[in-house]
Amino acid sequence: MTAKPEAKGLRMRGLDKTYNTLSGEEVEALKPVDIDIAPGEFVSLVGPSGCGKSTLLNILAGFVDPSSGQALVGNDPITAPDMDRGMVFQDYALFPWLSVIQNVEFGLERKGVGRKERRAIAMEYLGTVGLQDFATKQPHELSGGMKQRVAIARAFATEPSIIFMDEPFGALDALTRRFLQTQLLHIWQEHKKTIVFVTHSVQEAVTLSDRIVVMTARPGRFKAIIEIGLPHPRDFKSDEFRVYERRIYDELDEELAKTFDLEGDERPAK
Amino acid sequence: MRNVLRNLSRVLPYIYAAVAIVIIWQLAVIFTGAHPALLPPPLLTAETLIEMLLSGEIFMHAGISLGRVLSSWLLSATVAIPLGLAMGRFRPFEKVLDPVVELFRPISPLAWIPMAIIWFGIGETGKIFIIFIATFFPTLLNTVTGVKGVDPVLIRAGQVLGCRDETTLFRKIILPAAMPSIVVGLRISFGTGWAAIIAAELVAAQSGLGYLIADGMEILRSDLVFVGMAVIGILGVLFDSFFRFLHHRFGWAQ
Repeated sequence: MTAKPEAKGLRMRGLDKTYNTLSGEEVEALKPVDIDIAPGEFVSLVGPSGCGKSTLLNILAGFVDPSSGQALVGNDPITAPDMDRGMVFQDYALFPWLSVIQNVEFGLERKGVGRKERRAIAMEYLGTVGLQDFATKQPHELSGGMKQRVAIARAFATEPSIIFMDEPFGALDALTRRFLQTQLLHIWQEHKKTIVFVTHSVQEAVTLSDRIVVMTARPGRFKAIIEIGLPHPRDFKSDEFRVYERRIYDELDEELAKTFDLEGDERPAK
Repeated sequence: MRNVLRNLSRVLPYIYAAVAIVIIWQLAVIFTGAHPALLPPPLLTAETLIEMLLSGEIFMHAGISLGRVLSSWLLSATVAIPLGLAMGRFRPFEKVLDPVVELFRPISPLAWIPMAIIWFGIGETGKIFIIFIATFFPTLLNTVTGVKGVDPVLIRAGQVLGCRDETTLFRKIILPAAMPSIVVGLRISFGTGWAAIIAAELVAAQSGLGYLIADGMEILRSDLVFVGMAVIGILGVLFDSFFRFLHHRFGWAQ
Protein backbone atom coordinates (compact mmCIF):
# COMPACT_ATOMS: atom_id res chain seq x y z
CA MET A 1 0.00 0.00 0.00
CA THR A 2 1.11 3.51 -0.77
CA ALA A 3 1.88 5.93 2.04
CA LYS A 4 -1.20 7.67 3.37
CA PRO A 5 -1.41 11.26 2.12
CA GLU A 6 -1.19 14.00 4.70
CA ALA A 7 -4.36 15.80 5.70
CA LYS A 8 -4.52 19.32 4.29
CA GLY A 9 -5.76 22.50 5.87
CA LEU A 10 -8.68 24.52 4.59
CA ARG A 11 -8.74 28.29 4.22
CA MET A 12 -11.79 30.43 3.49
CA ARG A 13 -11.23 33.97 2.27
CA GLY A 14 -14.25 36.25 2.07
CA LEU A 15 -16.48 33.44 0.91
CA ASP A 16 -20.07 34.53 0.31
CA LYS A 17 -23.14 33.52 -1.64
CA THR A 18 -26.08 35.49 -3.01
CA TYR A 19 -28.84 33.65 -4.80
CA ASN A 20 -31.17 35.08 -7.41
CA THR A 21 -34.72 33.87 -6.89
CA LEU A 22 -37.10 33.25 -9.79
CA SER A 23 -38.78 36.60 -9.19
CA GLY A 24 -35.38 38.27 -9.65
CA GLU A 25 -34.88 39.08 -6.00
CA GLU A 26 -31.43 38.78 -4.54
CA VAL A 27 -31.22 36.63 -1.44
CA GLU A 28 -28.08 36.77 0.61
CA ALA A 29 -27.51 33.28 1.96
CA LEU A 30 -24.00 33.72 3.27
CA LYS A 31 -22.08 36.82 4.28
CA PRO A 32 -18.33 36.82 3.71
CA VAL A 33 -16.68 34.27 6.00
CA ASP A 34 -13.00 33.77 6.79
CA ILE A 35 -11.37 30.96 8.71
CA ASP A 36 -8.19 28.91 8.69
CA ILE A 37 -8.69 25.25 9.51
CA ALA A 38 -5.55 23.34 10.39
CA PRO A 39 -4.66 19.98 8.84
CA GLY A 40 -6.31 17.21 10.85
CA GLU A 41 -8.61 19.59 12.70
CA PHE A 42 -12.23 18.75 13.50
CA VAL A 43 -14.45 21.81 13.06
CA SER A 44 -18.23 21.87 13.51
CA LEU A 45 -20.69 24.40 12.14
CA VAL A 46 -23.80 25.07 14.20
CA GLY A 47 -26.50 27.66 13.65
CA PRO A 48 -30.23 28.20 13.23
CA SER A 49 -32.01 26.55 10.29
CA GLY A 50 -31.45 28.36 7.03
CA CYS A 51 -28.29 30.09 8.26
CA GLY A 52 -26.28 28.93 5.27
CA LYS A 53 -24.41 25.99 6.84
CA SER A 54 -25.38 23.70 4.01
CA THR A 55 -24.70 26.40 1.42
CA LEU A 56 -21.22 26.79 2.85
CA LEU A 57 -20.62 23.04 2.82
CA ASN A 58 -21.85 22.83 -0.79
CA ILE A 59 -19.41 25.57 -1.78
CA LEU A 60 -16.57 23.80 -0.01
CA ALA A 61 -17.42 20.49 -1.67
CA GLY A 62 -17.41 22.27 -5.03
CA PHE A 63 -21.08 21.67 -5.89
CA VAL A 64 -21.91 25.38 -5.79
CA ASP A 65 -19.76 28.35 -6.82
CA PRO A 66 -19.36 31.17 -4.30
CA SER A 67 -20.52 34.64 -5.39
CA SER A 68 -17.14 35.96 -4.35
CA GLY A 69 -14.17 34.99 -2.25
CA GLN A 70 -12.22 31.80 -2.34
CA ALA A 71 -11.77 28.53 -0.51
CA LEU A 72 -8.41 26.81 -0.65
CA VAL A 73 -7.35 23.29 0.22
CA GLY A 74 -3.65 23.53 0.90
CA ASN A 75 -2.82 26.04 -1.83
CA ASP A 76 -5.36 24.86 -4.40
CA PRO A 77 -8.59 26.81 -4.86
CA ILE A 78 -11.79 24.76 -4.83
CA THR A 79 -13.55 24.98 -8.19
CA ALA A 80 -15.32 21.65 -8.69
CA PRO A 81 -16.10 18.43 -6.79
CA ASP A 82 -12.99 16.35 -6.36
CA MET A 83 -12.06 13.03 -4.84
CA ASP A 84 -9.57 14.80 -2.61
CA ARG A 85 -12.56 16.17 -0.69
CA GLY A 86 -14.87 13.45 0.59
CA MET A 87 -18.42 13.94 1.72
CA VAL A 88 -20.87 12.15 4.00
CA PHE A 89 -24.49 13.09 3.38
CA GLN A 90 -27.38 13.15 5.82
CA ASP A 91 -29.39 10.56 3.89
CA TYR A 92 -26.39 8.25 3.37
CA ALA A 93 -26.41 8.43 -0.45
CA LEU A 94 -25.31 4.82 -0.79
CA PHE A 95 -25.65 3.46 -4.32
CA PRO A 96 -28.56 1.02 -4.00
CA TRP A 97 -27.52 -1.03 -7.04
CA LEU A 98 -24.18 -1.91 -5.46
CA SER A 99 -23.43 -4.14 -2.50
CA VAL A 100 -21.95 -2.71 0.70
CA ILE A 101 -18.36 -3.54 -0.28
CA GLN A 102 -18.87 -2.32 -3.85
CA ASN A 103 -20.06 0.99 -2.41
CA VAL A 104 -16.84 1.33 -0.41
CA GLU A 105 -14.81 0.27 -3.46
CA PHE A 106 -16.49 2.79 -5.77
CA GLY A 107 -14.06 5.67 -5.26
CA LEU A 108 -11.06 3.35 -5.23
CA GLU A 109 -12.11 1.96 -8.60
CA ARG A 110 -12.39 5.50 -9.99
CA LYS A 111 -8.88 6.11 -8.67
CA GLY A 112 -7.68 3.15 -10.70
CA VAL A 113 -6.83 0.86 -7.77
CA GLY A 114 -6.69 -2.78 -8.94
CA ARG A 115 -9.51 -5.19 -8.15
CA LYS A 116 -7.72 -7.22 -5.48
CA GLU A 117 -6.16 -4.27 -3.75
CA ARG A 118 -9.33 -2.21 -3.63
CA ARG A 119 -11.24 -5.15 -2.19
CA ALA A 120 -8.64 -5.45 0.57
CA ILE A 121 -8.71 -1.70 1.31
CA ALA A 122 -12.52 -1.61 1.32
CA MET A 123 -12.60 -4.59 3.68
CA GLU A 124 -10.15 -2.86 5.99
CA TYR A 125 -12.33 0.26 6.20
CA LEU A 126 -15.49 -1.79 6.64
CA GLY A 127 -13.67 -3.43 9.53
CA THR A 128 -12.94 -0.02 11.03
CA VAL A 129 -16.68 0.67 11.24
CA GLY A 130 -17.35 -2.91 12.37
CA LEU A 131 -19.25 -4.02 9.27
CA GLN A 132 -16.89 -6.54 7.67
CA ASP A 133 -19.56 -9.24 8.05
CA PHE A 134 -22.02 -7.20 6.02
CA ALA A 135 -19.78 -6.73 2.98
CA THR A 136 -21.96 -8.68 0.57
CA LYS A 137 -25.29 -7.28 1.78
CA GLN A 138 -27.31 -4.77 -0.25
CA PRO A 139 -27.77 -1.30 1.28
CA HIS A 140 -31.53 -1.77 1.75
CA GLU A 141 -30.82 -4.68 4.09
CA LEU A 142 -29.06 -2.37 6.57
CA SER A 143 -30.42 -0.11 9.30
CA GLY A 144 -29.95 3.66 9.04
CA GLY A 145 -27.01 3.63 11.43
CA MET A 146 -25.27 0.86 9.50
CA LYS A 147 -25.84 2.66 6.21
CA GLN A 148 -24.16 5.75 7.59
CA ARG A 149 -21.20 3.66 8.80
CA VAL A 150 -20.83 2.31 5.27
CA ALA A 151 -20.97 5.88 3.95
CA ILE A 152 -18.26 6.90 6.43
CA ALA A 153 -16.08 3.94 5.39
CA ARG A 154 -16.67 4.92 1.75
CA ALA A 155 -15.62 8.53 2.39
CA PHE A 156 -12.45 7.56 4.30
CA ALA A 157 -11.45 4.73 1.94
CA THR A 158 -10.29 7.04 -0.85
CA GLU A 159 -7.98 8.88 1.58
CA PRO A 160 -9.21 12.41 0.88
CA SER A 161 -7.45 15.37 2.50
CA ILE A 162 -10.70 16.69 3.95
CA ILE A 163 -14.07 15.15 4.72
CA PHE A 164 -17.26 17.21 4.84
CA MET A 165 -20.14 15.83 6.83
CA ASP A 166 -23.60 17.32 6.38
CA GLU A 167 -25.67 16.43 9.46
CA PRO A 168 -24.59 12.82 9.08
CA PHE A 169 -26.32 11.59 12.21
CA GLY A 170 -29.39 13.83 11.96
CA ALA A 171 -31.75 11.03 10.97
CA LEU A 172 -30.60 8.56 13.63
CA ASP A 173 -31.97 7.81 17.08
CA ALA A 174 -30.09 9.11 20.12
CA LEU A 175 -28.35 5.84 21.07
CA THR A 176 -27.21 5.00 17.54
CA ARG A 177 -26.05 8.56 17.28
CA ARG A 178 -23.81 8.32 20.34
CA PHE A 179 -22.37 5.05 19.09
CA LEU A 180 -21.57 6.52 15.69
CA GLN A 181 -20.00 9.62 17.25
CA THR A 182 -17.61 7.40 19.18
CA GLN A 183 -16.81 5.41 16.07
CA LEU A 184 -16.24 8.56 14.03
CA LEU A 185 -13.86 9.89 16.70
CA HIS A 186 -11.87 6.65 16.53
CA ILE A 187 -11.56 6.75 12.74
CA TRP A 188 -10.70 10.43 12.80
CA GLN A 189 -8.00 9.93 15.43
CA GLU A 190 -6.59 6.97 13.51
CA HIS A 191 -6.56 8.58 10.07
CA LYS A 192 -6.16 12.23 11.08
CA LYS A 193 -8.34 13.76 8.38
CA THR A 194 -9.49 17.35 8.41
CA ILE A 195 -13.23 17.26 9.08
CA VAL A 196 -15.86 19.96 8.64
CA PHE A 197 -19.03 18.80 10.33
CA VAL A 198 -22.48 20.40 10.14
CA THR A 199 -24.87 19.57 12.96
CA HIS A 200 -27.97 20.79 14.76
CA SER A 201 -26.92 19.19 18.01
CA VAL A 202 -24.83 21.29 20.37
CA GLN A 203 -23.97 18.21 22.41
CA GLU A 204 -22.73 16.44 19.31
CA ALA A 205 -20.60 19.43 18.32
CA VAL A 206 -19.01 19.66 21.79
CA THR A 207 -18.43 15.89 21.90
CA LEU A 208 -16.56 15.81 18.59
CA SER A 209 -14.96 19.12 17.73
CA ASP A 210 -11.67 20.89 18.23
CA ARG A 211 -13.44 24.12 17.34
CA ILE A 212 -17.08 25.07 16.94
CA VAL A 213 -18.22 27.81 14.59
CA VAL A 214 -21.53 29.37 15.63
CA MET A 215 -23.29 30.98 12.68
CA THR A 216 -25.78 33.82 12.77
CA ALA A 217 -29.34 33.74 11.45
CA ARG A 218 -29.70 34.39 7.73
CA PRO A 219 -27.75 35.82 6.11
CA GLY A 220 -25.25 33.59 7.84
CA ARG A 221 -21.84 34.71 8.93
CA PHE A 222 -19.50 33.47 11.65
CA LYS A 223 -20.71 34.80 14.99
CA ALA A 224 -18.29 33.05 17.29
CA ILE A 225 -15.54 30.47 17.02
CA ILE A 226 -15.14 28.50 20.20
CA GLU A 227 -12.22 26.22 20.94
CA ILE A 228 -13.11 23.13 22.95
CA GLY A 229 -10.16 22.45 25.22
CA LEU A 230 -11.28 19.06 26.53
CA PRO A 231 -9.41 15.77 25.98
CA HIS A 232 -11.16 12.83 24.33
CA PRO A 233 -13.21 10.88 25.31
CA ARG A 234 -15.42 13.68 26.59
CA ASP A 235 -18.03 13.08 29.24
CA PHE A 236 -21.19 14.96 28.33
CA LYS A 237 -22.31 14.79 31.96
CA SER A 238 -19.21 16.59 33.26
CA ASP A 239 -19.31 20.21 34.41
CA GLU A 240 -16.66 21.41 31.91
CA PHE A 241 -18.69 19.91 29.08
CA ARG A 242 -21.79 21.64 30.37
CA VAL A 243 -20.00 24.98 30.49
CA TYR A 244 -19.11 24.74 26.80
CA GLU A 245 -22.60 23.62 25.95
CA ARG A 246 -24.12 26.56 27.80
CA ARG A 247 -21.81 29.03 26.06
CA ILE A 248 -22.85 27.78 22.67
CA TYR A 249 -26.52 27.73 23.59
CA ASP A 250 -26.23 31.35 24.75
CA GLU A 251 -24.77 32.34 21.39
CA LEU A 252 -27.42 30.37 19.55
CA ASP A 253 -30.35 31.66 21.57
CA GLU A 254 -29.65 35.22 20.43
CA GLU A 255 -29.74 34.04 16.83
CA LEU A 256 -32.87 31.99 17.32
CA ALA A 257 -34.60 35.03 18.78
CA LYS A 258 -33.61 36.98 15.66
CA THR A 259 -34.97 34.24 13.42
CA PHE A 260 -38.33 34.37 15.18
CA ASP A 261 -38.35 38.17 15.04
CA LEU A 262 -37.82 38.02 11.29
CA GLU A 263 -40.69 35.63 10.91
CA GLY A 264 -42.83 37.82 13.16
CA ASP A 265 -42.16 40.87 11.00
CA GLU A 266 -43.40 39.10 7.92
CA ARG A 267 -46.78 38.28 9.32
CA PRO A 268 -48.52 41.70 9.37
CA ALA A 269 -47.38 42.41 5.80
CA LYS A 270 -49.58 39.63 4.41
CA MET B 1 -39.70 -27.74 -0.08
CA ARG B 2 -40.46 -24.27 1.15
CA ASN B 3 -39.56 -22.93 -2.29
CA VAL B 4 -41.96 -25.32 -3.96
CA LEU B 5 -44.72 -24.21 -1.61
CA ARG B 6 -43.98 -20.56 -2.24
CA ASN B 7 -44.05 -21.04 -6.00
CA LEU B 8 -47.27 -23.01 -5.69
CA SER B 9 -48.90 -20.24 -3.69
CA ARG B 10 -47.96 -17.82 -6.46
CA VAL B 11 -49.43 -19.99 -9.23
CA LEU B 12 -52.52 -21.00 -7.26
CA PRO B 13 -54.53 -17.78 -7.86
CA TYR B 14 -54.13 -18.28 -11.61
CA ILE B 15 -55.38 -21.85 -11.33
CA TYR B 16 -58.39 -20.65 -9.30
CA ALA B 17 -59.10 -18.02 -11.93
CA ALA B 18 -58.83 -20.55 -14.75
CA VAL B 19 -61.17 -23.01 -13.00
CA ALA B 20 -63.69 -20.24 -12.28
CA ILE B 21 -63.63 -19.09 -15.91
CA VAL B 22 -64.17 -22.65 -17.18
CA ILE B 23 -67.09 -23.22 -14.77
CA ILE B 24 -68.85 -19.98 -15.76
CA TRP B 25 -68.17 -20.72 -19.39
CA GLN B 26 -69.67 -24.24 -19.10
CA LEU B 27 -72.70 -22.88 -17.23
CA ALA B 28 -73.21 -20.28 -19.97
CA VAL B 29 -73.09 -23.05 -22.58
CA ILE B 30 -75.64 -25.14 -20.63
CA PHE B 31 -78.09 -22.34 -19.85
CA THR B 32 -78.04 -20.56 -23.21
CA GLY B 33 -77.94 -23.78 -25.22
CA ALA B 34 -75.91 -21.86 -27.79
CA HIS B 35 -74.77 -23.52 -31.00
CA PRO B 36 -71.08 -24.57 -30.77
CA ALA B 37 -70.33 -22.22 -33.67
CA LEU B 38 -71.48 -19.32 -31.49
CA LEU B 39 -70.16 -20.47 -28.13
CA PRO B 40 -67.95 -23.57 -28.15
CA PRO B 41 -68.06 -25.66 -24.96
CA PRO B 42 -64.83 -25.79 -22.93
CA LEU B 43 -64.26 -29.46 -23.74
CA LEU B 44 -64.43 -28.91 -27.51
CA THR B 45 -62.05 -25.96 -27.18
CA ALA B 46 -59.64 -28.07 -25.12
CA GLU B 47 -59.75 -30.82 -27.76
CA THR B 48 -58.98 -28.31 -30.50
CA LEU B 49 -56.13 -26.89 -28.42
CA ILE B 50 -54.61 -30.35 -27.82
CA GLU B 51 -54.98 -31.19 -31.50
CA MET B 52 -53.18 -28.00 -32.47
CA LEU B 53 -50.50 -28.59 -29.83
CA LEU B 54 -49.85 -32.07 -31.18
CA SER B 55 -49.79 -30.94 -34.80
CA GLY B 56 -47.52 -28.05 -33.79
CA GLU B 57 -49.77 -25.58 -35.58
CA ILE B 58 -50.27 -23.49 -32.45
CA PHE B 59 -46.51 -23.21 -31.88
CA MET B 60 -46.11 -21.98 -35.42
CA HIS B 61 -48.70 -19.22 -34.97
CA ALA B 62 -47.54 -18.26 -31.48
CA GLY B 63 -43.89 -18.31 -32.59
CA ILE B 64 -44.58 -16.03 -35.52
CA SER B 65 -46.51 -13.54 -33.36
CA LEU B 66 -43.83 -13.62 -30.66
CA GLY B 67 -41.06 -13.18 -33.19
CA ARG B 68 -42.74 -10.09 -34.61
CA VAL B 69 -43.27 -8.55 -31.16
CA LEU B 70 -39.79 -9.39 -29.89
CA SER B 71 -37.96 -8.01 -32.90
CA SER B 72 -39.80 -4.71 -33.10
CA TRP B 73 -39.82 -4.37 -29.30
CA LEU B 74 -36.03 -4.66 -29.31
CA LEU B 75 -35.79 -2.32 -32.28
CA SER B 76 -37.90 0.35 -30.55
CA ALA B 77 -35.91 -0.07 -27.32
CA THR B 78 -32.64 0.69 -29.14
CA VAL B 79 -34.14 4.02 -30.19
CA ALA B 80 -36.35 4.81 -27.18
CA ILE B 81 -33.80 4.16 -24.41
CA PRO B 82 -30.98 6.39 -25.74
CA LEU B 83 -33.52 9.06 -26.66
CA GLY B 84 -35.10 8.82 -23.20
CA LEU B 85 -31.71 9.06 -21.50
CA ALA B 86 -30.90 12.20 -23.49
CA MET B 87 -34.33 13.74 -22.83
CA GLY B 88 -34.11 13.00 -19.12
CA ARG B 89 -30.65 14.48 -18.75
CA PHE B 90 -30.71 17.54 -21.01
CA ARG B 91 -33.51 20.00 -20.33
CA PRO B 92 -33.38 21.87 -23.68
CA PHE B 93 -33.56 18.57 -25.55
CA GLU B 94 -36.60 17.52 -23.54
CA LYS B 95 -38.29 20.89 -24.02
CA VAL B 96 -38.09 20.51 -27.79
CA LEU B 97 -39.07 16.85 -27.99
CA ASP B 98 -41.66 16.58 -25.24
CA PRO B 99 -44.51 18.32 -27.14
CA VAL B 100 -43.88 16.07 -30.15
CA VAL B 101 -44.04 12.99 -27.96
CA GLU B 102 -47.17 14.22 -26.19
CA LEU B 103 -48.94 14.82 -29.53
CA PHE B 104 -48.18 11.34 -30.85
CA ARG B 105 -48.67 9.42 -27.63
CA PRO B 106 -52.49 9.53 -27.37
CA ILE B 107 -52.83 8.10 -30.91
CA SER B 108 -53.49 4.40 -30.44
CA PRO B 109 -51.09 2.17 -32.38
CA LEU B 110 -54.22 0.62 -33.90
CA ALA B 111 -55.00 3.96 -35.55
CA TRP B 112 -51.76 3.51 -37.51
CA ILE B 113 -52.87 0.20 -39.03
CA PRO B 114 -54.56 1.71 -42.11
CA MET B 115 -51.54 3.84 -42.92
CA ALA B 116 -49.21 0.91 -42.22
CA ILE B 117 -51.10 -1.16 -44.79
CA ILE B 118 -51.11 1.67 -47.33
CA TRP B 119 -47.42 2.37 -46.84
CA PHE B 120 -46.01 -1.09 -46.33
CA GLY B 121 -48.66 -3.48 -47.62
CA ILE B 122 -49.57 -6.57 -45.64
CA GLY B 123 -46.02 -7.86 -45.32
CA GLU B 124 -43.85 -7.96 -42.20
CA THR B 125 -42.74 -4.33 -42.39
CA GLY B 126 -46.22 -3.00 -41.63
CA LYS B 127 -46.50 -5.15 -38.51
CA ILE B 128 -43.02 -4.20 -37.34
CA PHE B 129 -44.07 -0.58 -37.80
CA ILE B 130 -47.24 -1.00 -35.70
CA ILE B 131 -45.42 -2.73 -32.84
CA PHE B 132 -42.65 -0.19 -33.00
CA ILE B 133 -45.18 2.54 -32.31
CA ALA B 134 -46.96 0.48 -29.65
CA THR B 135 -43.76 -0.27 -27.74
CA PHE B 136 -41.93 2.99 -28.28
CA PHE B 137 -43.74 5.35 -25.91
CA PRO B 138 -43.88 3.25 -22.72
CA THR B 139 -40.15 2.56 -23.00
CA LEU B 140 -39.33 6.18 -23.79
CA LEU B 141 -41.47 7.73 -21.06
CA ASN B 142 -40.28 5.34 -18.35
CA THR B 143 -36.67 5.98 -19.32
CA VAL B 144 -37.21 9.74 -19.09
CA THR B 145 -38.94 9.37 -15.72
CA GLY B 146 -36.14 7.11 -14.49
CA VAL B 147 -33.39 9.55 -15.42
CA LYS B 148 -35.21 12.58 -14.05
CA GLY B 149 -35.98 10.71 -10.85
CA VAL B 150 -32.34 9.98 -10.02
CA ASP B 151 -31.74 11.32 -6.51
CA PRO B 152 -29.47 14.40 -6.93
CA VAL B 153 -27.57 13.39 -3.80
CA LEU B 154 -26.43 10.19 -5.59
CA ILE B 155 -25.05 12.34 -8.39
CA ARG B 156 -23.18 14.46 -5.84
CA ALA B 157 -21.90 11.34 -4.12
CA GLY B 158 -20.67 10.14 -7.50
CA GLN B 159 -18.91 13.46 -8.10
CA VAL B 160 -16.99 13.42 -4.81
CA LEU B 161 -16.08 9.78 -5.46
CA GLY B 162 -14.32 10.50 -8.70
CA CYS B 163 -16.92 10.73 -11.50
CA ARG B 164 -15.34 13.81 -13.04
CA ASP B 165 -17.07 14.10 -16.41
CA GLU B 166 -20.63 13.72 -17.63
CA THR B 167 -19.86 10.43 -19.42
CA THR B 168 -18.52 8.71 -16.31
CA LEU B 169 -21.36 10.11 -14.24
CA PHE B 170 -23.82 8.77 -16.78
CA ARG B 171 -22.28 5.32 -16.94
CA LYS B 172 -21.60 4.84 -13.24
CA ILE B 173 -24.52 6.66 -11.58
CA ILE B 174 -27.38 7.80 -13.79
CA LEU B 175 -27.79 4.67 -15.90
CA PRO B 176 -27.78 2.18 -13.00
CA ALA B 177 -29.98 4.49 -10.92
CA ALA B 178 -32.53 4.74 -13.73
CA MET B 179 -32.37 1.03 -14.58
CA PRO B 180 -35.37 -0.18 -12.54
CA SER B 181 -37.59 2.36 -14.25
CA ILE B 182 -36.24 1.38 -17.68
CA VAL B 183 -36.97 -2.28 -16.99
CA VAL B 184 -40.54 -1.37 -15.98
CA GLY B 185 -40.87 0.50 -19.28
CA LEU B 186 -39.66 -2.54 -21.21
CA ARG B 187 -42.15 -4.77 -19.41
CA ILE B 188 -45.08 -2.45 -20.03
CA SER B 189 -44.13 -1.93 -23.67
CA PHE B 190 -43.89 -5.66 -24.26
CA GLY B 191 -47.49 -5.90 -23.01
CA THR B 192 -48.73 -3.10 -25.26
CA GLY B 193 -46.80 -4.60 -28.19
CA TRP B 194 -48.32 -8.01 -27.58
CA ALA B 195 -51.82 -6.51 -27.53
CA ALA B 196 -51.17 -4.55 -30.71
CA ILE B 197 -49.72 -7.42 -32.77
CA ILE B 198 -52.96 -9.36 -32.43
CA ALA B 199 -54.90 -6.38 -33.77
CA ALA B 200 -52.44 -5.94 -36.62
CA GLU B 201 -52.66 -9.63 -37.52
CA LEU B 202 -56.46 -9.56 -37.41
CA VAL B 203 -56.42 -7.08 -40.24
CA ALA B 204 -53.54 -8.12 -42.40
CA ALA B 205 -51.73 -11.41 -41.99
CA GLN B 206 -51.45 -14.97 -43.24
CA SER B 207 -50.06 -16.31 -39.98
CA GLY B 208 -49.84 -15.59 -36.27
CA LEU B 209 -52.33 -15.82 -33.42
CA GLY B 210 -54.32 -12.84 -34.70
CA TYR B 211 -54.64 -14.54 -38.07
CA LEU B 212 -55.78 -17.75 -36.30
CA ILE B 213 -58.59 -15.81 -34.64
CA ALA B 214 -59.62 -13.97 -37.80
CA ASP B 215 -59.55 -17.23 -39.77
CA GLY B 216 -61.65 -19.02 -37.11
CA MET B 217 -64.25 -16.29 -37.41
CA GLU B 218 -64.42 -16.56 -41.20
CA ILE B 219 -64.91 -20.31 -41.26
CA LEU B 220 -67.28 -20.15 -38.24
CA ARG B 221 -64.95 -22.16 -36.02
CA SER B 222 -65.35 -20.28 -32.76
CA ASP B 223 -63.34 -23.01 -30.99
CA LEU B 224 -60.35 -21.82 -33.02
CA VAL B 225 -61.07 -18.25 -31.96
CA PHE B 226 -61.19 -19.31 -28.31
CA VAL B 227 -57.96 -21.31 -28.61
CA GLY B 228 -56.27 -18.23 -30.09
CA MET B 229 -57.57 -16.05 -27.29
CA ALA B 230 -56.54 -18.50 -24.58
CA VAL B 231 -52.99 -18.77 -25.95
CA ILE B 232 -52.70 -14.98 -26.14
CA GLY B 233 -53.76 -14.70 -22.51
CA ILE B 234 -51.47 -17.44 -21.23
CA LEU B 235 -48.42 -16.21 -23.14
CA GLY B 236 -49.12 -12.65 -21.99
CA VAL B 237 -49.14 -13.74 -18.35
CA LEU B 238 -46.02 -15.89 -18.81
CA PHE B 239 -44.01 -13.08 -20.37
CA ASP B 240 -45.17 -10.57 -17.81
CA SER B 241 -44.10 -12.81 -14.94
CA PHE B 242 -40.81 -13.47 -16.70
CA PHE B 243 -40.13 -9.73 -16.79
CA ARG B 244 -41.20 -9.37 -13.18
CA PHE B 245 -38.72 -12.10 -12.32
CA LEU B 246 -35.98 -10.29 -14.24
CA HIS B 247 -36.87 -7.06 -12.49
CA HIS B 248 -36.76 -8.77 -9.13
CA ARG B 249 -33.53 -10.59 -9.87
CA PHE B 250 -31.55 -7.80 -11.53
CA GLY B 251 -33.34 -4.62 -10.53
CA TRP B 252 -32.29 -3.23 -7.19
CA ALA B 253 -35.43 -1.19 -6.49
CA GLN B 254 -37.39 -2.27 -3.47
